[in-house]
Amino acid sequence: MDIIILFVLLVTAFAIWREAHRGLVLGLWLVALVLMIGLFRYHVTSSLGLSF
Amino acid sequence: MNLLSRLVYWSLNLWILGYTVILGLALFIQFAYSELPCPLCMLQRYAMILSTLGAWWIVRQAEAGTLTTVGYMQGLGLGTLGAFAGAVFGGRQVMLHILPGDTGYGAPVLGLHMYSWAFITFAVVIIYCAILGILAPAALPQAPKQESPAARLATAAGLAFLAVVAINAVMIVFLEGFAWVLPDDPTAYDLFRH
Repeated sequence: MDIIILFVLLVTAFAIWREAHRGLVLGLWLVALVLMIGLFRYHVTSSLGLSF
Repeated sequence: MNLLSRLVYWSLNLWILGYTVILGLALFIQFAYSELPCPLCMLQRYAMILSTLGAWWIVRQAEAGTLTTVGYMQGLGLGTLGAFAGAVFGGRQVMLHILPGDTGYGAPVLGLHMYSWAFITFAVVIIYCAILGILAPAALPQAPKQESPAARLATAAGLAFLAVVAINAVMIVFLEGFAWVLPDDPTAYDLFRH
């Protein structure tokens, strides 16, 4: 998953560099964000157990 | 207004350069001291990249002369959302190691662990984007003339950012290998184990 996220980020960066269409940049950026949230959700499996 | 527009343009470049240096330092610490990043550390790096893409998008549009108020606000929106995601990831890691007696993950840098520094930078970016949003559209970023030394400097900052993203993309292939996700506490580059 990390490999996919970083390659989506790299492609987004290239799209910005090549002045690609606005929709493409926004779409790729959003895909990266959604994948990152999914990965965060996968790794965070327990509550913090803190008490203040 | 011209001066403010130029200041905004260079402050956006400073944002790009700042995160490029931080990501470069993280790679240096990883390779020089064999400190492999945990999944949350990597998520914070992705968030730094995600956030910086917003700034770079604005800068590229300003350089091409196609920047509108809409494009500017969209770029700031991407930067803010990316920084907010990073603050959530960093905040979670800070909370994991906040109890007394916990030594934290990895070695501290200038007294704070890298995830604590990351959280601070994300907070700074969110505040900075808010200020730029308040100033818009009076201070739409203005790029220097093409082929000028200043324009080349800005291009170099952008290319350095692109390079650091590319290095991270190559590195993650070695770190993750054929696994679907990173282990909670990586001890070796997984690709070499197969």
